[in-house]
Amino acid sequence: MNIVNKMTGKNEDEYKNKLITAVKKEVKQVMEESVTRKFVHEESGSVTSLCGAVEACLSQGLRRRALGLFKTSSTTALLHKIAKHSPEASNISKKVQEIENLDPNRRSSSSSDSLTKPTLKKNVSLQSNAVFPKYLWIRLALFNKQLAKIIDYLVSNADKYYNSDALVADPDYGSILSSLLVGPCALDYSRTKSQDHFWTDPPADELVQIHRICRCPSTPPSVRKSVVRKPLNASSEDSMAGRSSTQSLAKDYVESLHQNSRATLLFGKNNVLVMPLNSDVSRSIPGYLSLHQMASGLTIKWTPNQLMNGCGEEIADKNVYWDYALQVRLDEIVYVHCHQDVDTGGTVILVGQDGVQRPPIHFPKGGHMLGFLSCIETGLLPRGRLDPPLWSQRQGSNTKRRRPLPALSESEETSKHYVFRIIDNMNPKDILFKRNVLMDTTALLSTKVRVQLGSTSTSSESSSKSFSLDHQNVPDSPPSICIQAVCDSMKRQFISRAFYGWLAYCRHLSTVRTHLSGLVNSKIIHSEGAKEGITPQKWIELYKDEILHDHNEIYRLVYFGGICNDDIRRELWPYLLGHYKFGSTKEQRHELSEETKQAYENTMSEWLAVEAIVRQRDKEKQAKAIAKLSSESMSGDAPQIQRSLSNDVFEDISDTDTSNPEIGSSETSPEKKPLKTKQNTIKYDDDDDEEENKNLNVEKILINGLCEEEIIKNEDVKECTEEELKDFIHNVIVTNPSVDMSVLGSESPRRDHLDAVTEENNSSLDTCIETHGLASPARSACVSPASSNGGIYSQELLETFGLNLHRIEKDVQRCDRNYWYFSGDNGLDKLRNVMCTYVWEHLEVGYVQGMCDLAAPLLVIFNDESLTYACFCHLMERMVENFSNGNAMDCHFANMRSLIQILDSELYELMQSHGDYTHFYFCYRWFLLDFKRELVYSDVYATWEVIWAAQHISSTHFVLFLALALLETYRDIILSNGMDFTDIIKFFNEMAERHDAKSVLDLAKDLVLQLQLLIENK
Amino acid sequence: MAHRKKVLLKVIILGDSSVGKTSLMNQYVNRKFSNQYKATIGADFLTKEVTVDDKNVTMQIWDTAGQERFQSLGVAFYRGADCCVLVFDVTAPNTFKSLDSWRDEFLIQASPREPENFPFVLLGNKVDLEPRAVSAKRAQLWCQSKNNIPYFETSAKEGLNVEQAFLQIAKNALAQQNSAVDLYNEFPDQIKLTNTQKPSGGGDSCAC
Repeated sequence: MNIVNKMTGKNEDEYKNKLITAVKKEVKQVMEESVTRKFVHEESGSVTSLCGAVEACLSQGLRRRALGLFKTSSTTALLHKIAKHSPEASNISKKVQEIENLDPNRRSSSSSDSLTKPTLKKNVSLQSNAVFPKYLWIRLALFNKQLAKIIDYLVSNADKYYNSDALVADPDYGSILSSLLVGPCALDYSRTKSQDHFWTDPPADELVQIHRICRCPSTPPSVRKSVVRKPLNASSEDSMAGRSSTQSLAKDYVESLHQNSRATLLFGKNNVLVMPLNSDVSRSIPGYLSLHQMASGLTIKWTPNQLMNGCGEEIADKNVYWDYALQVRLDEIVYVHCHQDVDTGGTVILVGQDGVQRPPIHFPKGGHMLGFLSCIETGLLPRGRLDPPLWSQRQGSNTKRRRPLPALSESEETSKHYVFRIIDNMNPKDILFKRNVLMDTTALLSTKVRVQLGSTSTSSESSSKSFSLDHQNVPDSPPSICIQAVCDSMKRQFISRAFYGWLAYCRHLSTVRTHLSGLVNSKIIHSEGAKEGITPQKWIELYKDEILHDHNEIYRLVYFGGICNDDIRRELWPYLLGHYKFGSTKEQRHELSEETKQAYENTMSEWLAVEAIVRQRDKEKQAKAIAKLSSESMSGDAPQIQRSLSNDVFEDISDTDTSNPEIGSSETSPEKKPLKTKQNTIKYDDDDDEEENKNLNVEKILINGLCEEEIIKNEDVKECTEEELKDFIHNVIVTNPSVDMSVLGSESPRRDHLDAVTEENNSSLDTCIETHGLASPARSACVSPASSNGGIYSQELLETFGLNLHRIEKDVQRCDRNYWYFSGDNGLDKLRNVMCTYVWEHLEVGYVQGMCDLAAPLLVIFNDESLTYACFCHLMERMVENFSNGNAMDCHFANMRSLIQILDSELYELMQSHGDYTHFYFCYRWFLLDFKRELVYSDVYATWEVIWAAQHISSTHFVLFLALALLETYRDIILSNGMDFTDIIKFFNEMAERHDAKSVLDLAKDLVLQLQLLIENK
Repeated sequence: MAHRKKVLLKVIILGDSSVGKTSLMNQYVNRKFSNQYKATIGADFLTKEVTVDDKNVTMQIWDTAGQERFQSLGVAFYRGADCCVLVFDVTAPNTFKSLDSWRDEFLIQASPREPENFPFVLLGNKVDLEPRAVSAKRAQLWCQSKNNIPYFETSAKEGLNVEQAFLQIAKNALAQQNSAVDLYNEFPDQIKLTNTQKPSGGGDSCAC
């Protein structure tokens, strides 16, 4: 196409030759691609090149003028022209027009074919739509397998459309061109994205889809499970080999039963009958027998027909057939037994080194057995051969087994049996010698064992058994002395191998115990009768007298079966979170609820007061900023804007534009720290003063009732304006300074107490909550501006709380807006109150993004602010570590790493190989939010209650196992795509809220059990 | 056929929470705006293929969490970045004030070879909203003081200037990468563009 259209004299011939050579080259390229990759993508570069080459041939010598073809793409015009005469051309012409009509802006000359590829389109920016500017009709014709015919038509009618010296008109070149294209027209072109074709990685959806299609042969969970136990009879190396061979088996079957780059197909026959050994099927089933030559040697495969005929439906059933499928490496086979009956095509039985028979292979009639054997014989060359040879040694021998082979042909009437030995291409003495020598090297020994363990699906023996059997096979030929030597040597090898295996396993176990035993509870609790979980009937039974007694049973039921509806959740969750005590009476709980509510309201009144101040300050700032902006921009109406804006944003505060609650420099230096800390949770430090204040104050609050909020605001504003005068002297708002000395004094012991609380368990948590009830009024006495006592707000407190307030607001507004509960303001307001109350009480922690997400599901279930708040506090006792800058998260990552190392070494290898990605940052959100963002709401409930129950049943680190289960669910996708750190992050982000929570939970419980068993196994 | 060499540009979007980082990224990559985005936790990224100076490149755009508490995550995500996009909200002065700390934080964590020449781009987002609290002039002054960072005023909601901004980002990222290592491989001519539309760039592209 880039060749200059200069044609003079003999240059013409050269030019035509060039053109046709280009086509040849491109055809070859496409055909090669189709062979090596089993399909050619429509977007493939070689397709484009081919079309280009064809276009060049077709445009050469075209009689444009005579035909009136003046458009830029005259070949497209030519196509439309011949459409009248050629049905193929008219078909393609129609399609071209259809596509061009879809996009009227596009000139026919630059007809892009990107429109034909919807899968691609979303990834391509507008500009790059022009990336494939040409050859639309040639492409379409090619994909529709019409191109050769159209060109054939052109060639046979060349005189109409082409100059006499054109390539198409040339008797030789013309027909060469059309016949060259027959091949590419026979191919199937794919639109599916392949891994290496596009720059962008396939989306998670597609990966899961692809995986589902290829899923049948993939390592099923049972295989994975066994990994943990495998070290019992084989070293970890062996288990790796076993696994990867299963994995490769899967790949082979899906991708390459046919000829491919790695293996040559030597023989293939369908409807070969095999009776699977390890099946409950009583008769032989037909399947596809194939013989492949790979670098490592010959492999015989047999695949049941059920697997060959598409993979679309009844995937579950197919798993069975994958168990039946055979894959036998010929270097494990010593004897080939052939049985020939009169009425069948013959039966071949392969006998391995271990003496184990592979399932008999029954050939249909028609000389296929002979063909198969001869293919084996050919394939064995030059390294090995069949003994006796199939064809070469015609002279008969005495024994039946040494009969010359032509007798195998089916024409013979009688049934016959033959045995062939597969031997290395050396004389028997050499072989024996070689064996003897090699037996002494562990290397060979271990490879052989590994091979046997790894690749035969039928042999379930341990390595020891297969070896002794192998041994017994040997006496056939060699002298007994040698045998003795071999035996001794093997015995030694064997014992040492067993010993080292055992040693490695012990070390492995001790690693597991030291590093991982803390992750699971040592006592294994069984799931009998708990799978149903807490059903309404069960709940009625358990909650008869409105007292929950048997906490262990509750935990067990929740852990193994979950809670079946949200009404029960509302009752039971406070127990699971530790708010209600098991065994408490209805009255006790009611009392607790009242206290909680009281405390919650008091705390709210406190921070609402501060909020008012913060808002006022914000308003000032905003006004200032806008004023500055308007003075910058020199716009005349600045004051107006200012006013209207402040009203907009701060509608809840009356017009006090001039007030300035900002406060000057320090008066009392010790108050530089935020004063508000954990005082609420602890009641013990109170002096008598506080008690008194409390009593007074409680009354006040009760009186104020619902109007409280209003009053606070009003008072606040008033305070501010009063203070204006002193503002520049004081840096604190002092309404009543009497109180906070005690607060300061008691601060540090209180903190210690808090730490103790978080460390201890439920019992102390309950006291903690009780203190909420008692302590809060006490504090509100000190600080609440609702009381006439007033309070002190340090500059820093205002700033800290203000900052948190803004963060909370930003996040609450964005929290699950698509979920019904939060679609209106009501739900969001409640959530905001809960968050603000928590942060007010825990200012040293502050608000961190994600806390909203943790509180939201609780609020949806309880629909009660104070209960949500109390339960959220309990939840945060476990979660707060993750939010702080401490190393809790790193600790999770390290544990994940160890768990994967122990439970899925293959995945671990992949992670190791990508270095970076052992950081496990893709788990960050999982751990931070207890999987809240990964799952839909109903699944979050089910998952959370299991996490809460798990600490009493199986593991205090159940989240780790959940994370592992999530990873394991997609391990095959991760492995087969060789995903790195970024790929995995993207994958899981895209998969968010689309996981099968139930199966992930089950897998997680199973993983816990696996580790428990591993540790228990002393 | 020779395997194409992948030119990957890693772009990090930073800025205070709720300035519109996720929205900008999604507007650019998917041409969609949603008011349903949640606060980003951890990090996420999207990829987009673009043509810059006749070269096809893949942009890997990393969206990060806006709260500084998450900055410790930075090292893992910032490493190997080719361009850093700073975003603030033109209606929220605080988000403008923290730009310095975001920039410094990035330079510390990503530790590029030539910090003074590392490409940043500043986006003033939410220009569709009133009232405006940070003027274009102020932002431009800031940019000038930081070695002439390109500045764009965008609206992720209305898609205003987003395409242009990211094109500039891609250009700067590519320039950065080319200055480091020449990764570019010749492409087969059939995928070459005939007409690359000239991107309008620079700080003067906004109407304000």
